[in-house]
Amino acid sequence: MDRILENFITALRRSGVRVSIAETMDALQAVTLSGYGDRMLLKDFLSASLAKSLSEKEIFEDCFHRFFSMDDISGEDFPFEKSSHRAVNQSWSPLTEMLLAGDGGGLSLAMREAAARADIGDIKYLTQRGFYLQRVLQELGFEALDGDIRRLREEGNQENLERASALESMRDHLIERVRKLVERQLELYAVRRVDELSEMYMKNANLTALEERDLARIHAVIQRMVKHLKDRYSRRRKTARRGHLDFKKTLRRNITYGGIPFDTGWKLKKIDRPEVIVICDVSRSVANVVRFFLLILYSLNEIVSKIRTFVFCSNLVEVSAHFEKYPLPEALARIQTGAGLPILMNRTDYGTSFLDFRDQYSDCLTKRTTVIILGDARNNYWNPRTDALRFISARCNRLIWLNPEVPSLWGAGDSEMEKYIPYCTIARECSTLRHLERVMESLLRTH
Amino acid sequence: MGFLFDICYSVCKENRDNRAGKILRKSTMSMANERFATVDRVRQGLRDVGYIATEQIARTVYLAYHLGKPVLVEGPAGVGKTELAKAAASFMNVPLIRLQCYEGLDESKALYEWKYGKQLLYTQLLKDKLDRVVGAETSLSDSIDKLHQYDDIFFSPQFLEPRPLLKALQEKDGAVLLVDEVDKSDDEFEAFLLEILSDFQVSIPEIGTVAATSIPFVFLTSNSTRELSEALRRRCLHLHISFPEQGLEREIVMIRVPGISERLTGQLVSFIHQVRKLDIKKVPSVSETIDWAKTLVILHAENLDRELVKDTLNIFLKVQEDIRVTLEKLNTLTEHALREKT
Repeated sequence: MDRILENFITALRRSGVRVSIAETMDALQAVTLSGYGDRMLLKDFLSASLAKSLSEKEIFEDCFHRFFSMDDISGEDFPFEKSSHRAVNQSWSPLTEMLLAGDGGGLSLAMREAAARADIGDIKYLTQRGFYLQRVLQELGFEALDGDIRRLREEGNQENLERASALESMRDHLIERVRKLVERQLELYAVRRVDELSEMYMKNANLTALEERDLARIHAVIQRMVKHLKDRYSRRRKTARRGHLDFKKTLRRNITYGGIPFDTGWKLKKIDRPEVIVICDVSRSVANVVRFFLLILYSLNEIVSKIRTFVFCSNLVEVSAHFEKYPLPEALARIQTGAGLPILMNRTDYGTSFLDFRDQYSDCLTKRTTVIILGDARNNYWNPRTDALRFISARCNRLIWLNPEVPSLWGAGDSEMEKYIPYCTIARECSTLRHLERVMESLLRTH
Repeated sequence: MGFLFDICYSVCKENRDNRAGKILRKSTMSMANERFATVDRVRQGLRDVGYIATEQIARTVYLAYHLGKPVLVEGPAGVGKTELAKAAASFMNVPLIRLQCYEGLDESKALYEWKYGKQLLYTQLLKDKLDRVVGAETSLSDSIDKLHQYDDIFFSPQFLEPRPLLKALQEKDGAVLLVDEVDKSDDEFEAFLLEILSDFQVSIPEIGTVAATSIPFVFLTSNSTRELSEALRRRCLHLHISFPEQGLEREIVMIRVPGISERLTGQLVSFIHQVRKLDIKKVPSVSETIDWAKTLVILHAENLDRELVKDTLNIFLKVQEDIRVTLEKLNTLTEHALREKT
């Protein structure tokens, strides 16, 4: 079977491209059409059948390059003994034979085969380099080569000694080559091995532990999550929407058919689409988590039709327009730094912010509104103004508080969580994507 | 892994044999086979019908033909995604059947519909006949039994109005099916497309399953306004077309605009490429380059100059803001374009 393609697909999967079995079959057919001779042809064929989006194409390019451009030994950069004339009576091992004959192509092939026999595709960790190096060398027939060199030395005439030292230098070179091969393989198979687990990992990891550079990937995870929820939601909506027969509509439609009801009309049930209002703390104490809160908000914005977003630190401002106007990274940056917003980035003041909301925006609270508050409730010992929160709570359908801290810390130090809890319908810890997912699910379910 | 691979391999061989066995390729098909003999021939063939394809495009088309797989074409607006399908149709000498997707597109618009009017008319016209058929029977159940002998005469293919998808399956000599802007359709429709794209057959409850007489060549285009589902992507080969390189775009202009001088082509393509690098809302597409080139030919222009560009800017820039940005840099842009050697 096609070992090369198999290894390549493994490498591709490890770098984060999802390759299904059906696609593997396509790739197989493509390879039978193209063969391995023309690299560019092969690349385009495989790219068409394996990488199915622009981002995947980029990974593919990288992977293909690394996989296929390696370890071709050519005569120029390998110190073959040019003048070597073979003694006929000697029986050399195949490896010695190739070295003496200066057979670069044969060597490359032998190396690749030896690597395959040593199961190099299983290499996972940096520490395994030595082990795999030894294994490949062994498979390549280094013992026999050493034997040949020893024999030459023992025989001991001038010519043989020269040849032996030439072989030794070539051997050292070859070891270097194999070492490089193993390193490249390690890069290929192990470099992004974490990614295999990454989605699971990221969903469970604490949001504060995730880093800026993961942002794009996390966004992808979130989008997949949101899409998943949305699909489920829209399916439900579709079946639930058909109401009873609309008699008037049916009559009207079938006038052309002489009143025979060919084409029936149905009433559509109107669904309640509650509005969501999100109030998000963007102060420094929650800075790490805020990014992900905002990320979620941004994605939510796409599926929930009526959503208004507010952020606060020392005071509260509305940022709904930002999500629609700017692409994701820019919107995030703008909101986090408060650029172009009338927001004061001093010390967090939950009390004032709730008052702001009550005074300016309380008219958007109706019996269908769900209010979500994201924040750690660390109020710097200001007045918590629970009356403002009570006011908000009384005027909306549900008030959900998501706190990035573990519940045991609620109420400790300057956290006013304990005082706020009585006014929340739900108060939950929310420090991983998994938590967020659960919250979003419950949010959509009641839609 | 190796074990899985062996299974894949045998399955895929079997599949191919099956497909070949099930679908008889007619003589035209063998001609098409001839056309698809090598990648270069595909490329040349596309060029002959006025489509300059990159190696990559030609290879993907070639591969798609040989695997019998749909091609999902993505890329920015106006790089010739739709054009590729049209060119492929005229290259293969088969009809092009186009399905434009939009939000709310459903089966009755995409697949088939019953001709209600005709059904009704026929029942009225045949009223006497029907009376006579059931006339002899006395009881109601007898009449119904009698009618049952004629089964579903009113739900037969004569009363079926084929929409693009069904039409593409019914074409005897094959067709090119273009599902345009599939990202504009709903998720539900996308799911429905899956059956057609993998098996090339649809089931109509009243008639049964309609399988393709010959597999249509399917192109799907997308501007990625929405992420397409993994399932759809898996069933297609994927081709990403980006804006062409200068050399290629020059070729495209030369072949599409007869009578244009090489020098002017070089200048205007260089100008467009610079404009694409500017920070503007809507970058000019290839088709707009062609429009501009046509305009310049009509105006008998020999060279680009500042005034000429200024007057014709609105042909490839459609947003006022973009025009303003470009006008600001007009001098440097034009100079740079004029320095371009063809």
